[in-house]
Amino acid sequence: MIAQRRSIPMLAAALLLAALGPRAWAAEPLVVSTWGGNWKDTIERVVAKPFTQKTGIPVEFEVGGTLDRLAKARVAKGQPLVDITLTTSHVGRLYISDGLFQKLDMAKLPNARALHKEALRSDAHIGVWAYVYTIVYRTDQVKDEIARWADLWEAKYARKIGMPDFDPSHIITVSALLEGGNERDWQKGQERLKRLKPNIAAFFSTDAQSQDLMKTGEAPIQVMLSVNGFHLQEQGLPVKLVTPKDVGGIVGIDTMAVMTGTKKAEAAYQFINLALSQEIQEQLVQGLKAGPFHTKATVPAKLRGQPGIFTTPQEWKERGYIMDDEVRARTLPAWKEWFNATIVAK
Amino acid sequence: MSPGWSLGRRAGHLAVAGLVAFMTLPTLVVVAASFNASAILSFPPAGYSLRWYANALTYPQFQRAALNSLLVTTAAAVLALPLGTAAVLALERGRIPARGLWAAALLSPLLIPGVVSGLGLLILGAGLGILQSRWILIFAHVVMIVPFVIRSLWVSVANLDPDLERAAASLGAGPWRVFCRVTLPLLRPGVFAALLFAVIISLNEFVVSLFISTRVTEILPVAMFTYVVNYTDPTIAALSALFIAGTFASITLADRLLDMGSVFQIARAGGGTEV
Amino acid sequence: MAGRAAEALRAWGAAGPEEGRGMPVPAVCLAPALLVMAVFALALGALLRYSLFEFIPGSLRTGGITARNFRQLAAPQYLRAIWDTILLSLATTILTLLASYPVAYALARGRRGGLRSLLLVLTLAPFFTGAIVRTYAWILVLGNSGFLNTLLVRAGLRETPYQMLFTPQGVLVGLVHFSMPVMVLILGAGISHIDPTVERAAASLGANPIRTFLRVTLPLSLPGVISACVVVFAWTFSAFPTPELLGGGRVKMIANVVKDLALDSFNWPGGAAFAALALGTTFALVAGFARLIQRLQPAGHR
Repeated sequence: MIAQRRSIPMLAAALLLAALGPRAWAAEPLVVSTWGGNWKDTIERVVAKPFTQKTGIPVEFEVGGTLDRLAKARVAKGQPLVDITLTTSHVGRLYISDGLFQKLDMAKLPNARALHKEALRSDAHIGVWAYVYTIVYRTDQVKDEIARWADLWEAKYARKIGMPDFDPSHIITVSALLEGGNERDWQKGQERLKRLKPNIAAFFSTDAQSQDLMKTGEAPIQVMLSVNGFHLQEQGLPVKLVTPKDVGGIVGIDTMAVMTGTKKAEAAYQFINLALSQEIQEQLVQGLKAGPFHTKATVPAKLRGQPGIFTTPQEWKERGYIMDDEVRARTLPAWKEWFNATIVAK
Repeated sequence: MSPGWSLGRRAGHLAVAGLVAFMTLPTLVVVAASFNASAILSFPPAGYSLRWYANALTYPQFQRAALNSLLVTTAAAVLALPLGTAAVLALERGRIPARGLWAAALLSPLLIPGVVSGLGLLILGAGLGILQSRWILIFAHVVMIVPFVIRSLWVSVANLDPDLERAAASLGAGPWRVFCRVTLPLLRPGVFAALLFAVIISLNEFVVSLFISTRVTEILPVAMFTYVVNYTDPTIAALSALFIAGTFASITLADRLLDMGSVFQIARAGGGTEV
Repeated sequence: MAGRAAEALRAWGAAGPEEGRGMPVPAVCLAPALLVMAVFALALGALLRYSLFEFIPGSLRTGGITARNFRQLAAPQYLRAIWDTILLSLATTILTLLASYPVAYALARGRRGGLRSLLLVLTLAPFFTGAIVRTYAWILVLGNSGFLNTLLVRAGLRETPYQMLFTPQGVLVGLVHFSMPVMVLILGAGISHIDPTVERAAASLGANPIRTFLRVTLPLSLPGVISACVVVFAWTFSAFPTPELLGGGRVKMIANVVKDLALDSFNWPGGAAFAALALGTTFALVAGFARLIQRLQPAGHR
């Protein structure tokens, strides 16, 4: 009986402590918003770990899809739940127009001076790596070589192709380009894209789903992000990434930005500056198999020339197609609506 | 008995065996997959490895989520048990009007869809500004647990022999003493069943917690869901296997100690009302 | 107060054996639990209130009162989700009933204690391992390179994997598996309370097993069957983890729509409208069932 009486206040104390949470005794972490899976793991390993070693500030990650995180950020406006956001360059524009990113103090980012000019997407977000959306296919399940975007329309690939349903910009732009248009007059490619429908096996909403579809062979040919394709190769899947001969891969640029209203701006700048340094850029290239922005970052020989890994401005222009960010951000809703109604719907 | 019966019995046994196989198949597959050496699944596994177990046990987000689960479940059980016990005793023994109505209100969370409770608590929590603390999670779990506590205890309370309490009272024991020394010990099986339910329901609660968790406060099932959505390796298979092992152990233990059949009011075959 | 309670208790203790009730308990003991439920009711009220107000994209504040959230329910993709939910719930209930009855019967009538315990453990265990574990396990079983497809392809029964995941059929299998423990338990409790001598009497009068079942066991177990079916239907109607993970975004039930609207788009008013739909349906089902039971049972009959 007596033991019971004493244990109750102890229990109450434990509960109170629990409710306060680890915040009571740990340093405030820097929170980075990014994509999950392989992306988060690499940033954690390559950037966050050295950052914590240097500054003693722990780093935590808020993961989710591109547009989901935008929705969350909008709702938390003014009192951001994250300090740094990694997002695609064109979606970054949507953040900016909502006032969610603060203007970058370039004096605090000395490493930015050594970047290709393509990295400076705006005064509020800065490119950190690049890749392409291109054709990735399983060589053990698709016997013929696929060399061009136009090949995807061939009848023998019926119900074999997978593509993202969260962002149709790539395939819409490719269709338009093949018909002599571009992302601005994208309607030129609409009929052509409709003809691709019988070849589509599945749509994926996340990176993980896309990789699953490839692993199980349900969609052995995909319009896929080059980094994800390389990741599958690392895991032992026999896939090939194509640099299509007719139109290059659609270039994607991922950017970093500092949230308006963050209380850890100093730490945020340090983090971003570290990510833009030559050493870290080189490690990011090796870890993700993405293209660096640092002009002096060396790319290992076996990666040179691979899809998405560009090292000179010429390579960017010749082997990839860079869409206009503004047009892309502006037209994305219309693209999504048309795509969902015409291509995804049965 | 006619020969049709033995044939019928044989067929019945076969059907039951098949259905049990259906019920246990996923469990077996998960355990097999957890030992798969590579990230790409195949059956039978191409190689065997414990790396996914290592990954599951060392993944920081799982560790934090497991700690959260422990805290939330303990707090919720500690709060819900006395709350529920007091409520059952009051409803059964107290002179309370409209007893059926109150009982229905207390049991209602069982009926309410998880997404409804979750969104409602999210809206309320946002309004009160408490979404960043664990208390909203603890509250939600208490709400989920109380109906189970009440159901587990009701039969026990209804079956209490009033003479025992009366004897104690007539000997001069005060009400609190009667409660602690006579009533509670008699309720022990019911309380134990209630505790078991409370812990299991809370540890596995997912849907409501998904709505009101944050990255810092999320409990283990929510962390596992996030992982499944973002990764395609068998780490969750390993974690699942650990869950399954733990569950089997505790259910078997509970059955030994408690006769689970009676907890679920499945009377024994061969007559008798030993419920 | 303690003094008065002690007095009352002593008076009760001294009362004669005709006093049937146990030790009196102060009504105030009910208060804490009711308080908790009152706060919970507040939460539900907040949800219903939100469903009536306008959604402002990008913000958690709401605009003025509007019926738009409920009108949105009739949008094609949402109607589709509602219809799929109804169909899946019906199919799940029927299939679960067919699968659970034999197991429940074995549980209720099983003679050997050890086997009965084993059956109980095997039935309960999935129930207690949590939604994520169980649903993930089905991903492994049903996937294109999962257990079943590997078996089918190796046995030569199929050339390419049979698509089971991300289809309504796959979700159905998961839902049935999810509901079986509940139905087995409810049915088992019901069947076990049927007096076995009635069945034996029928058998001794020459009825074969099928006849006995159809004429004796089934009708007597009907209240349990109906009860279990209502529970499973209501539960499946609001199912979330199974269609979320096994449906892969292609099979959506009402609960998934609530989550999409509320957690992905932060459209709390829209999500609340759907949640209200799920809540209303569940209550209607339970109320309807209660009334049915009242009608079916003449007074005093148990």
